[in-house]
Amino acid sequence: MIQRKLESFMARRRCTLLGVGPMSKNCVDVTIELANNYKIPLMLIASRRQIDSARFDGGYVNNWTTEKYAKYVIDRDKRGMTILARDHGGPWQNTNEKDQNMSLRQAMASAKKSFEDDIKSGFEIIHIDPSIDIHGSLTVDDILERACELLDYCCEIAKREKKEIIFEIGTEEQSGGTNTMEEFEYSLNEVFKFCKKNKIQNPSFIVVQTGTKVMEMRNIGSFNSPFRIVNELPAEIQIPKVIELCNKYNIFMKEHNTDYLSDEALKWHPKFGIHSANVAPEYGLAETQGLVELLEANNMKKLVEKFLKISFDSKKWEKWMLPNTKATDRERALIAGHYVFSKPEVIEIKKKAQIRLKNISIDEYLKAKISDSIMRYLRNFRLLNLV
Amino acid sequence: MKKVATIILNRNLPDVANRLYEKFQNNDAKETDIFIVESGSSKKNLSKHYTWWANWEDSLEHGLRYPRGFNYALSKLLEEKKFKSYDYYFLVCNDVEFEQKPIIKTLVNEMIKHPRVGILSPCSPLWGEKILLSKNETKYFWYAQFISWFVRREYMEDVMALEKPTYMDFLFDGENFRGYEADIELIIKGYANDWATAITTKVLINENETYLKTRADLMKTDPYDENLRKVLKEGKKWLRTKYGFNSRWTINLYSKFFYDQFFEYYPELSKYKV
Repeated sequence: MIQRKLESFMARRRCTLLGVGPMSKNCVDVTIELANNYKIPLMLIASRRQIDSARFDGGYVNNWTTEKYAKYVIDRDKRGMTILARDHGGPWQNTNEKDQNMSLRQAMASAKKSFEDDIKSGFEIIHIDPSIDIHGSLTVDDILERACELLDYCCEIAKREKKEIIFEIGTEEQSGGTNTMEEFEYSLNEVFKFCKKNKIQNPSFIVVQTGTKVMEMRNIGSFNSPFRIVNELPAEIQIPKVIELCNKYNIFMKEHNTDYLSDEALKWHPKFGIHSANVAPEYGLAETQGLVELLEANNMKKLVEKFLKISFDSKKWEKWMLPNTKATDRERALIAGHYVFSKPEVIEIKKKAQIRLKNISIDEYLKAKISDSIMRYLRNFRLLNLV
Repeated sequence: MKKVATIILNRNLPDVANRLYEKFQNNDAKETDIFIVESGSSKKNLSKHYTWWANWEDSLEHGLRYPRGFNYALSKLLEEKKFKSYDYYFLVCNDVEFEQKPIIKTLVNEMIKHPRVGILSPCSPLWGEKILLSKNETKYFWYAQFISWFVRREYMEDVMALEKPTYMDFLFDGENFRGYEADIELIIKGYANDWATAITTKVLINENETYLKTRADLMKTDPYDENLRKVLKEGKKWLRTKYGFNSRWTINLYSKFFYDQFFEYYPELSKYKV
């Protein structure tokens, strides 16, 4: 059903589907609202760090467990337009698995449990990404072997639970900038062979490199750059090539790291035939900036400072920094803001601010900011009924 | 008679142009005549080997940049009735660095092996295109950046200005001063006239951007970032004015369209498709 739903939507109009990172409760609410108001399928793409099973104590987004989050979304998604999707599921994709220095077998077993709870909870798209190994580097064959094992396991669970799911495979981690066409085609062939042999469904999506890469508060990949980036295949060559390959294998392409692309670049997504794209940190930043702006505009400097300090001290901005970064502490705090929304101290800050802001609902204000940010994608991806 | 004319474009970097000239002189003199076109260099910064000097006021002030610079050199060769003497033209910017070995023969052989190739570009180890090419391999592309191009005369004759070509229109469109997407325009014209553009790893190049980054004042050109900003701004305006295109992606797909059509006409060349 999910496969048919997406296919029939895309058959009606040339568009690019959007995957929204559930950066916060507000972000989830806005996604559900937009999907239902405009009757467009929107994918909520939760990483394991954002939301994971109760067995792993949930994630940083609203302290939700997979089960509670799924119930929350399903209850509110009246028209059934919001699709629960797992983003980057796989071994060592949850921080606990890294912190506990799990072995391969332990991490695979742990990832399987996480997938099992996803499927039982009603997730419909499962992204299998076994590209991380904390004990050493991986060959393409290692990754494929693990991906196939997880694919097989998820199919078994779905069959047992009588759930319909579809799969996304691949990762943007494989080779940094661009994965080679040979590697891409080889991986697809191997997975399809495995699926045929084991009589399981082929994956519906594959993550492809289109020259997008998010660092700090911008997209530094070749898609957005009119000039050559060293060691990267120009997007002018890369994009038509990967689209050709996806069409050859009849698989939807999924672009990751689409955040912060210009309107011009986004408008080209449906024209190129990019089937779907994921956006996450940009929405987190929209909400964080909204909160800071609102408090500053209402003379709540101390609360802003406190919030920015909590965010900065979390160090969650570290992985987003460019080498030789010139980002200010404030910018770093803004980048990390969404990671700390669920901390009791931040909830307290918002409560205090709300008491002083009698005529404005902070969450409604923030939702409007997130909505603006998501709407930019809906318009450029031709997801809105334009006629 | 030599089959190849190598044209080096220089602006105010005589030492760099001299080195490049001498590199060709030492390694490839049997295969090529070498010319240096001075793109509005000041008198004291002329290469000792220079052939032509664009020294009118505007060129001294702004330079010719690569589109007008190579057009000027080609128009001089036509004027001197030498244009038809060469089968191939190697258009080289002065900041390009080559391996210290003969390369012209390799490029000529590659052109002979690929008779439908109009433009052949050496690859750089710093280009992503290398992942689509094995070692010592040539493939056809719909997108290739101009750094140094080995161009077949027959191709040029199919696409160049017909009447009294000048530095404004001989091969490149001189209205596109800084040359943003001027390269892709020539690729399109090629495929539209059954000429492919290829990139080869048989000859490797490196663009030494340190000259632009650190010696812009000496070159009497804009600082690096300012130049990039102008390249984009003026290039976009040119694209809009000439084609009504509002995006680089449009001209890219336009090129891809002719590229795909080329292989419909020449299916036997599909093995060179990327």
